[in-house]
Amino acid sequence: MLNYIWAGLIICSLVFAMTGDINDLRHDTYRNDQSLPITLKYRAPYDPAAKEIPVDVVIAPDVYTNFYGVSARPALSYSGTLIQGGKSPQLRFAADVPLPEPLSTIREAAQSDSSEIGQLQGVVHNLSTNPSVTLDPVRFYKLGKITKAAISMAGKAVNLAIGLIGGLALWLGVLRIAEKSGLIDAFVRLVRPVLHPLFPEIPKDHPALGMIALNLSAGMLGLGNAATPMGLKAMEELQKLNPTSDTATNPMVMLLALNTTCVQLIPSATLVAIIGLQAGEVWLPTVLSTAGAMVVAIIATKLLGRLHRYRSTDPNRQPAI
Amino acid sequence: MEHLHLILQLISVFIIPLILVGFPIYGLFRRVPVYEEFVTGAKEGFSVAVRIIPYLVAILFAIAMFRASGAMDYLTSALRPILTAVGIPPEIVPMAIVRPLTGSGSLGILADFSKQFGVNSLLTKMAATIYGSTETTFYVLAVYFGAVNIKKTRHALPVGLIADFASILMSIYLVKLLFA
Repeated sequence: MLNYIWAGLIICSLVFAMTGDINDLRHDTYRNDQSLPITLKYRAPYDPAAKEIPVDVVIAPDVYTNFYGVSARPALSYSGTLIQGGKSPQLRFAADVPLPEPLSTIREAAQSDSSEIGQLQGVVHNLSTNPSVTLDPVRFYKLGKITKAAISMAGKAVNLAIGLIGGLALWLGVLRIAEKSGLIDAFVRLVRPVLHPLFPEIPKDHPALGMIALNLSAGMLGLGNAATPMGLKAMEELQKLNPTSDTATNPMVMLLALNTTCVQLIPSATLVAIIGLQAGEVWLPTVLSTAGAMVVAIIATKLLGRLHRYRSTDPNRQPAI
Repeated sequence: MEHLHLILQLISVFIIPLILVGFPIYGLFRRVPVYEEFVTGAKEGFSVAVRIIPYLVAILFAIAMFRASGAMDYLTSALRPILTAVGIPPEIVPMAIVRPLTGSGSLGILADFSKQFGVNSLLTKMAATIYGSTETTFYVLAVYFGAVNIKKTRHALPVGLIADFASILMSIYLVKLLFA
């Protein structure tokens, strides 16, 4: 299943990116190689010999909407720089101004392929009479975008994993003390009546049950930073019971299902940070919907586990090799 | 209800320092060499994190590509007529699709909603409930199974997605029921 979804994500992204790019080419969304009439306002008297002249670029809204065939309207003026000295003068828009579509996309495209400039720029024609600008052409913008996304995310994933080390080390250390001091075993006896029906494959006194209970309680209290190391420790305990090295057992699937739907008694800190006090208002629907989802997850795990294709791959049903 | 909420919040503030201090103290009491055991346990942190890397790269890069391709826009417009028919506002679709895929992406959408529609709007409340009540299933899958080198995940992903679907639907209808 994961194989198909994973491949599906990659194939879909290629197909959708190509479709988008071909559509853009067909409709000439970015009006490649056509010139947009503009008015330039000089802040100081125009000096033909100057290399860089600060200017204000005025684009008439009617001209703009007709030219690109969009409904977005440009601002009154944009600050920019006129660069002279080459074959023909160049106009470069200031870096961080908000731009209407499709100008903002053209700028984004410039940022992704020519990293040395990263600004919206183009060639100016008829500078002295009625100026117009031909912006840098944009082709296959989305293909470039998915490539860039893939490569940068691969880097981010590594950083993400490395960033986990500190928290993992801290919690794995504390959990080790808990294990050696017998706290986990005491905890197992406490939670066994609740957890045993969900994890019938785990032997009754196994520490895995204690780790699972710690993981789920941390999850319920919205303590994501502590819940993950506890969950990983629980996975390790479950792996010790696994006769195979690379196939998930039923308890593992159940643990994952419970983790993705865990009842949230406390709204997470990020939620409070984003929407403020309203986080308290959505508390009730959150608790109810997570509780419902947890029931759905438990039932789905048990039912799907009975399907032939999942039952036949259950590591505990195959003779250990 | 308010009191219960407050008590739970207090617990969540106190529980971590309590565990971090309480476990070693209990260990001392039981004559466990606490420092030595802590270090032995903590040593594993590095290898677990490194073990996760290939799984995380595989999942996250595919999701990043999918999001960058603009597939979400097509999906939203394709699903719009069906959703309007069953009383789900189509604006919520990107949130529903992104939530199981990425945590930061769905957080971005939520922040967007609260700016665009205001924190008191029904849509923001729906998005917040969805954000609060589901996990980033793909990330959890990569991290948990990555940590023990499990490649064949069997029914873990279908179950996670079914649960996400249920929880998203419940979030939407519950918010409608409670606030609309």
